[in-house]
Amino acid sequence: MNKLFIAEDIMQEHEVKGYFEILRESVIRSRFTMTAVFFKLANSSQGTDIERHQVNHQISAFLKSKIRKTDLLFQLADGMHWGVFFLQSSEVEVKAFLTRIFAILKQEREFQQIPLKASITEIRNNSVNFEALLEKNKQKLADDEQPSWSIEQVTDYNVQPTELVKVSIIEQNAIFRKVLETTISHLDIPHFTLEVASYEDGYSFLKSDSYKSGHMHLVIMNDILPRKNGLEILHILREMPNEKKFIIYMMSERNSEGASLNAYEGGVDEFIVKPFNLRVLEAKIRRTFARFWL
Amino acid sequence: MIGLSVSFLLKVIVVLLVILFLFTVYLLFQRRREIRFAETRDTFLQNYSLPWYNYLINDENFSIVLVPRGKAQVAAVEIIFSSYLKNILDEKVEQKIKEFSNLYLKEFYEKDLSSRRWSIRMNALYRIADFKIDELLNACQQFEKSKISEEENFQLLKIYSLFQPELFIEKIKELTVHYSESEYRRLFVLLEDDIFIRLFEDFDSWTKNIQFAAIDTAAVKRNMQYIDQLKQLLTHEVPEIQIRALKGLYEIGVIDEIDPYVPFVTSDMWEVRLMVAKIFKHVPLNYSYTYLEQLLEDENWWVRSQAAKTIAENKEGIAKLQQFMESSNDQYAIEMAQESVVRKQGNK
Repeated sequence: MNKLFIAEDIMQEHEVKGYFEILRESVIRSRFTMTAVFFKLANSSQGTDIERHQVNHQISAFLKSKIRKTDLLFQLADGMHWGVFFLQSSEVEVKAFLTRIFAILKQEREFQQIPLKASITEIRNNSVNFEALLEKNKQKLADDEQPSWSIEQVTDYNVQPTELVKVSIIEQNAIFRKVLETTISHLDIPHFTLEVASYEDGYSFLKSDSYKSGHMHLVIMNDILPRKNGLEILHILREMPNEKKFIIYMMSERNSEGASLNAYEGGVDEFIVKPFNLRVLEAKIRRTFARFWL
Repeated sequence: MIGLSVSFLLKVIVVLLVILFLFTVYLLFQRRREIRFAETRDTFLQNYSLPWYNYLINDENFSIVLVPRGKAQVAAVEIIFSSYLKNILDEKVEQKIKEFSNLYLKEFYEKDLSSRRWSIRMNALYRIADFKIDELLNACQQFEKSKISEEENFQLLKIYSLFQPELFIEKIKELTVHYSESEYRRLFVLLEDDIFIRLFEDFDSWTKNIQFAAIDTAAVKRNMQYIDQLKQLLTHEVPEIQIRALKGLYEIGVIDEIDPYVPFVTSDMWEVRLMVAKIFKHVPLNYSYTYLEQLLEDENWWVRSQAAKTIAENKEGIAKLQQFMESSNDQYAIEMAQESVVRKQGNK
């Protein structure tokens, strides 16, 4: 059996498992992508024990100096792998990070004896468990013939779950209400399902109670509405404890700075002056949802 | 005592009853007609709103079923078109509505123009403008020759401004009716830039309301093209025109040179001085400060207040005001500066 070379100043596999489980759930709850990277020496079987011990220390120190404060570095129990969880980072950012540190390792004289290889796993759902993640990455890096600086990829966890979003359209004009309803129902937004409902006035929207559920909720409403008007609804929604779940678009016939300023200060996310182009509205909605995941 | 025979009274009662009966029948008939009209219109709306959406928005092929038959269905199409035009900005949609209206609604509105009822004629004029039925331009010119009301004439001007701006300019030159400023503004705002700018060519030939409306519309349009026109009016002999031109330039918000505005700092009219204090908001403070300091010591409260506000809005404004407070002897001006500083710091 190989003698283990454990660096003492970084976290160990058993300590990280608990953190990982919390982080994995945050991926869903806060919609932030996490990417795990595992490193291994490209020629791990070479060298004496003392040399390997030194190299391991060098690798730990080097990685520790390069990661951000929000990233979590640890060493695996076998002493041959290192892992880093990059929080709020997508695969693209992590690849750029790897290219950068590999370039440093290749250039700097003192690091020349440590040719690394890495495997990347982008995590966008919570169906992954710690042991499986480790196992899959170890397998990816198991081949001793792999060249130095190669980057492998595990793609099993990079699809985020589809999230239900409620959409409420509050518009008095029946024809236009139907136009908006049809347009938005046909909108295909990756990883989000839109459940569209429409209301002719503010009161019937409030009566529906649909806004009380915990789902993300896109409200597209006119500023002037019968019974309860748009600004009142805006106020009610923004006063709610979980008001952040509402994305509020306000439509208005008033093309004045005063009206739009008032609306933005009241808490709308978009102020749209009528008449407007439906394709632009669609694009705005797409961009709004594209911001939720890295 | 009046002597009336029973048989005579009975006859009168019978005649009245017959009239009442006929009137009731007429009312019931009218009501039924109205209900049937509304039903046909609503059924059309229900059945054809989606096909119309597919044709207008999704570029699906035109189908003959979309063509309305009878007045009730025309009313339904009117509702659909008006809803789209009021809420959606899309050249393709506008073009399709225009083509369809020129082809299938033209005859309805042409007939409506000769209606005896004013409301029907007005509705036709509104729709001709909204749906851009330019093939009815000749019919409209014919219609103008008949005895028409001021409102109808106004709608006709709107139609001319859309379809034949040259004719519009001619028509307003020879107008006998005088419309209000706001009515002219409503007309001018629809004009294309190259036509609108012609209003400034022979400016003094227009009536006051047209002159004022032209200046105000230039301000609303916020087009840099009109800056030169408005600047020329700064030397106009009528103070009201000067003030409005200043206001327009302030609204457009681009001040390329300070010299034309400097004489207004010492104007006799406080309204002019107020406008100039506003305009300096769009000028770097190192160019305007000397004049603003002068305006800060103005005799009029509004001017002082605006000058202080303009200075305070600048990044270095607060420091300048504090410096001013230390050096000035004018108690009123110092108080105003102080107020602006406090307000500005309170907002942070």
